[in-house]
Amino acid sequence: TVAAFDSFRFVIKGSLAGAAVYMAYDQGLLGSGTQGAEALRKAQAALPPAIQEWTSYLGWEVRAAQLPPTPKFDFSPSDSWNKGVQTVMSALSVAPTRACEYTVEGWKYVKDLVK
Amino acid sequence: MASEGELGRKWDRCMADSAVKLGAGFGLGIVFSVIFFKRKTWPIAFGSGMGLGMAYSNCQHDFQSPYLLHGKFVKVS
Repeated sequence: TVAAFDSFRFVIKGSLAGAAVYMAYDQGLLGSGTQGAEALRKAQAALPPAIQEWTSYLGWEVRAAQLPPTPKFDFSPSDSWNKGVQTVMSALSVAPTRACEYTVEGWKYVKDLVK
Repeated sequence: MASEGELGRKWDRCMADSAVKLGAGFGLGIVFSVIFFKRKTWPIAFGSGMGLGMAYSNCQHDFQSPYLLHGKFVKVS
């Protein structure tokens, strides 16, 4: 009976593990890049209503003033990177001119102080 | 659809897929660690590593396939 119980336990564990792997496969988490991106988009779309449901289920009264409206997780890494690069490059391109201007202003200020 | 935008979209897909695969590998690693391996840490690391490897492979395939178009099926009723 101990052997039977052990094999029964192993079957249960195997079933749980197999179910977890199958669920991951079925949701497209183990597929191609497009499927993975689609799965992330579906999860992002499902998150705000889920948060809303849970806060109302737990009885937390959320007034509009306290909590901002559920944010949209529409984040594009390539857009953010490109914007960052453009900001840095434009700052670097005006840096010498600005440095000259600040130096002139600083020198004028010091001269006025010394007068 | 600008071609330089296509590269940005590929990177976005790659990043999203990496996050998904890492999370799935991590989660399945936890499941296997708890069920079979007495809550050891190595299955979690193994699963995360496998997820990252799958994501890298998908990204590589996506970047090296210039002629495949990613489209959507639209049902016309």
